[in-house]
Amino acid sequence: MKSQKYKFKTKNIKTFSFLLVLLAFSFSILTFNLSQANAIEMNSTQYRIQMGDVNIGAANNQESENGNLLSNTLGQIAAGQFDSDGYIVKAGFQYIHSIEPFTFSISDTNINFGEIEPNYPETATTDLSVSFGSGGEYLVTVAEQARLNTENGDYIDDACCDVGCSSVDKCTESVSALWDLNSTPGFGYKMFGEDIPTTFTTCGDKCYRPFPDTSIPEDPAVIMSSPDVTVNLASKPKDTIHQSQMTLKLNVNTGQASGTYQTILNFMATPSY
Amino acid sequence: MKIQKYNSKVKREFKTFKFLLVFLTFSFYLLTFHLREANAQQVSLALSPPLIELVIKPGKSVLIAYKLENRGDPTIMSAYILPFQPRDNLGNIKIKNEFDGPVRFNLDNSELKLNQPFFVKTGDKPQLLLRIRIPEGAPEGDYYYTLLAETQAPPSVAGTSAGRAKATIGSNILITVTRSGQLNIKGKLALFDVLSKFKLNIFGRTINFFESSDKIPVILVIDNKGRNMIKPQGEIVLRGNFGEKASYDIIPQNILAESQRLIMATSAAQIDCRDNRSADYCKRPISLLLSGFFVGHYDLSTEINFGTSTTNLYGSTSFIGIPIKLIIGTVFALVIGVLVIKKFSKEE
Repeated sequence: MKSQKYKFKTKNIKTFSFLLVLLAFSFSILTFNLSQANAIEMNSTQYRIQMGDVNIGAANNQESENGNLLSNTLGQIAAGQFDSDGYIVKAGFQYIHSIEPFTFSISDTNINFGEIEPNYPETATTDLSVSFGSGGEYLVTVAEQARLNTENGDYIDDACCDVGCSSVDKCTESVSALWDLNSTPGFGYKMFGEDIPTTFTTCGDKCYRPFPDTSIPEDPAVIMSSPDVTVNLASKPKDTIHQSQMTLKLNVNTGQASGTYQTILNFMATPSY
Repeated sequence: MKIQKYNSKVKREFKTFKFLLVFLTFSFYLLTFHLREANAQQVSLALSPPLIELVIKPGKSVLIAYKLENRGDPTIMSAYILPFQPRDNLGNIKIKNEFDGPVRFNLDNSELKLNQPFFVKTGDKPQLLLRIRIPEGAPEGDYYYTLLAETQAPPSVAGTSAGRAKATIGSNILITVTRSGQLNIKGKLALFDVLSKFKLNIFGRTINFFESSDKIPVILVIDNKGRNMIKPQGEIVLRGNFGEKASYDIIPQNILAESQRLIMATSAAQIDCRDNRSADYCKRPISLLLSGFFVGHYDLSTEINFGTSTTNLYGSTSFIGIPIKLIIGTVFALVIGVLVIKKFSKEE
């Protein structure tokens, strides 16, 4: 009887120890040793093209001992030209020497407002950056697919700002206006940073404007643009990236139907020609 | 026996309780103190080359290798082509909503097709082999398109109102279809002037005045009346009344068919308006910004051509630099000096 009891006790201790070790192990693995997920290398089973362009380097104005300047480019990232029977192709801007490709980034694509309470405006931000070393001039536009809406068909109107939608001074897709009152409902945005429309810099940091609605349809609005042809290579560090921040604002009034309101915002970055 | 059973039950329950306590404590710590911040879904795309200029005969095709790079989180993308038109005279574009024109596009990749989604993991650099084909009967002229690579919007999060963003990056394709290689080039100077605050009209002639230390903004707009795009070459020359001369090369930017473009000169790249937005020359795009101390009459001229065997275009304007600040300062100093001298003279 005593032996049976002892066995039972030992078994319990073992189970407890096992669970303790398991939990401690899991805890350690989950807490301290989390590493970045390694993606699996994916290749085509048919073939892989490894040639076609040579993007290995370019240099601008390398000065030799005798004072001569050398400017060279290689591959399709840099300017190049080839002739063939029946066509001529020029790749890249012939007057810009840069290996920096045209790049566009959005810091957060899920711009979340959480739960919205009437007359308590919520804001959320996302950062935009454009590198245009080989793109020269560029343009970033934005448009919403439709107004913020629910599956039931309820929607939140785009912002008209504090003056109201009946006023001629309301904010529009191209002009920003003051939106500071908690009682003003709507969905809109403001911009801060480099290359942003002057309407935001002249109006102030409490000024917003609505997104163009492509379902109406409305043309996308320009939110960043630069006529600079070349980057300032003299600056340290080299100023090859232009950045801005978009702050989105959402507010509803008490009559707004409850639900999850969503829309898709399309940010488009295009270089010049 | 009953007491033993009871004790055993109590012990078992106590152990279960201990196990639950340990488990819950671990879970609490794990979930409360070691939760990492949710990482935002980031999109970062690069596309090169940013521009393709193609002069091609009908019936021919050409293969262009684009490199698309995903520098952000893994994403699903699709590539498509849409035509564009100039948005303004600054080189910006406006993408049309629907495809038009005779040019045919497809991807020569075995696994990628236009308008079909494909997965791009972080750091991937898929090559898009774009085949551009001009049908035999395609009319001569210019056709402008943009290759667009678009990410899909992230999935919606239940219970939260949100704007879900998708990113699109583009690369422009300028196609000139010609059978003979002959191009229709008709460039015209639309505007060549300085942006001055003070203008004076005398006998139908406008004279521009600047304060000597002011920067002189110059605007050069070229109008393309032809059916093919043109690329201006030339310079803007500044001549002073003492024979001094400075010349600035024009950047050979493309001017699309039947459109205008503000052309920039090389030194315009040095204009930095980020910390000086209130300056007049930052309020609108300009071609060239002249800086110096200008006194007297200055002539500005430009000479432009669009390649060999094309006629040259000429334009000129002028301005007068007056050292107003210097004059006011000198007069003020003189007045003060005279008053001081008079005062001392009276005292003596």
